[in-house]
Amino acid sequence: MELMNEIKIKSKNLNVYYGEKQALFDVNLDLNEKEVTALIGPSGCGKSTFIRCINRMNDVIDICKVSGNIEIDGVEINDKNLDVVSLRERVGMVFQKPNPFPKSIYDNISYGPKIHGKGETKSELDEIVENSLKKAALWEEVKDRLDEPGTGLSGGQQQRLCIARAISVNPEVILMDEPCSALDPIATAKIEELIDELKKTYTIVIVTHSMAQAVRVSQKTGFFHLGKLIEVGKTEKIFKNPDNKMTQDYITGRFG
Amino acid sequence: MNFVLIFLITIFSLSLFFYGRSKTKSISIEKNIKLNALPKFYGYYLVLWCSIPSLVFLLIWTLFEPVIIKSIIIETAANQGAIFNDKNEANLIYEKIKAIYAGTYFGDIDTILKESALSYAKFINLFTNSKIVLIFGIVIASVIYSLKKIKNNNKARDDVEVILKGLLFASSLIAILTTLGIIFSLLFESIKFFSVINIFDYLFGTNWSPQRAFVRDASAITAEEYEELKDAFGFIPLIAGTSFIAFIAMLVAVPVGLFSGIYMAEYASLKVRRISKPIIEILAGIPTVVYGFFAALTVGPFFRQIGENLGLTVSSESALAAGLIMGIMIIPYVSSLSDDVINSVPQSLRDGSYAVGATKSETIKKVVIPAALPGIIGSVLLAVSRAIGETMIVVMAAGLAANLTINPLESTTTITTQIVMILVGDQEFDSPKTQSAFALGLTLFIATLVLNYIAQRAVKKYREKYD
Repeated sequence: MELMNEIKIKSKNLNVYYGEKQALFDVNLDLNEKEVTALIGPSGCGKSTFIRCINRMNDVIDICKVSGNIEIDGVEINDKNLDVVSLRERVGMVFQKPNPFPKSIYDNISYGPKIHGKGETKSELDEIVENSLKKAALWEEVKDRLDEPGTGLSGGQQQRLCIARAISVNPEVILMDEPCSALDPIATAKIEELIDELKKTYTIVIVTHSMAQAVRVSQKTGFFHLGKLIEVGKTEKIFKNPDNKMTQDYITGRFG
Repeated sequence: MNFVLIFLITIFSLSLFFYGRSKTKSISIEKNIKLNALPKFYGYYLVLWCSIPSLVFLLIWTLFEPVIIKSIIIETAANQGAIFNDKNEANLIYEKIKAIYAGTYFGDIDTILKESALSYAKFINLFTNSKIVLIFGIVIASVIYSLKKIKNNNKARDDVEVILKGLLFASSLIAILTTLGIIFSLLFESIKFFSVINIFDYLFGTNWSPQRAFVRDASAITAEEYEELKDAFGFIPLIAGTSFIAFIAMLVAVPVGLFSGIYMAEYASLKVRRISKPIIEILAGIPTVVYGFFAALTVGPFFRQIGENLGLTVSSESALAAGLIMGIMIIPYVSSLSDDVINSVPQSLRDGSYAVGATKSETIKKVVIPAALPGIIGSVLLAVSRAIGETMIVVMAAGLAANLTINPLESTTTITTQIVMILVGDQEFDSPKTQSAFALGLTLFIATLVLNYIAQRAVKKYREKYD
């Protein structure tokens, strides 16, 4: 058996409530460092809610209450005294719909570093922008038009721009919430290729509705259903020989 | 009389609804045919056909009857030997005749007046009778026509659609024609004014004192008189005063309104929002005259008092007081419009910003506001056009003297105030003084039109980007 990487993120008895409604029930899930973990499951099963706990994006929603523990490198993040700004610097996020700011490509990337006081001089900033775009495999396509608006790019380019924006602050973890659901197959293939490359540097969690995508990009897969983590394991095992009947039914398309 | 007619037409039309509905039902049963529409549409069809032509006829008749009777009566009076030199005297005699007919005239009645009053009574009777006859004729004709139609099982549903469409079109036509009418009357009166006063003397003159032109027939102004007149209608002090007060108002309204809009959109909890938003909007519902006396009676004297304590001369009607109160009046416009545009910035942009670790205020400052900027500019421009069109506050609080000044403690005046001053009281309609009000109105109209146009373009451009 292949050696698993070290555990980066650990959730223990994580419960999330939206007002009266409970969205997650006692989720215990370990995510390994420099590996891609895919979260699958039918709509509304809590996969997005789960990853939004990792960078505390649920704080934005007034009625959302989170209880239980999430540790990153052994440090509890579900703590009122934790500095959310530095947490989000370490845990970047890419969303379902590409959401570049209505600013130039350059400003889209330099936004994060500027906020965190990285890149004091113009040349340092230039370097961060170039590196981020290169890592997001977008540099070649946009290097001559960095001052054009980011919203003018194609959907796939916009999503890679958002990935570059997430990379720009040099995070340790990147959360991806259905990053390809608004993209065509070619753009999707590019993003998947990119994810493969990025996992060398970053711990990646990806929520996806596409089983094929989970198989292609992830090493570990978790299956959620109605707010519960039903099964988690190596991607190969989950898709070839799941322990749970429900997982079996879902991946073979009998429900969901 | 008209009310009785309208009442009768309405009652009759409504009863036709039930007749039409049951009639078509029985037709369909008797002849065993499928109707082209639900029975109720035949009812509507009858109602519309019975009421609209007769009511429209009644309206037109009522508009033209007095005019026609008047011209006939004045002519008969003239034939009987009444002497009048101009239109005004003719009008006077006509009013006397009407008063005699109504029994409210207490002067001497000579034979001419008596005869005329008798013929007036005759014509009134004649017109009323023929009106009634004609209306009944129209009602009967249209009912016969529409009954024939429904007996032939017409497509009543489609026909009702067509009639309703016509009705709606006519309503919008009225709105458009009224607007055009106002614009043209402004335009024509202004042209009269500009035929006396050179447009450049008006636009670039620095002195406004239209009282000098009081009771002077525009057509009889000599070249010498014009030399004296031409610097009485200088527009510069008015536009300067207007812009100055609007500027002070915006100094108050933009920061307060924008910040309260940001608070409402980004920070306020649902509960706070539910309570405070209506309260802010109440501010917009306060009649401007209330703001006006607040400015004139409270704020103006308050500033004067402070000025006295500081050793400054503050006039009790000051640009500062008027501008300040106007600014307060405009706050709700800016705040609720900018609240709306900020709210329509997609949440995903905020999420993107939070996700790289930005705080709320950083997100607002660097992402939300720039994204909402065109809309915010639009709302500010709308507020500006509201400010320069505002009348009551400045009439009460800004003063009447057209000072060309940038001292906010002095009294100054605005375009709208001057229009009010010119048109209050008895007027000679051919004096340049009166006509200048129309020129001012036209200028103000063009200024607000341009501002509104730019504002709406800005808002629209913003919407296109995010919808």
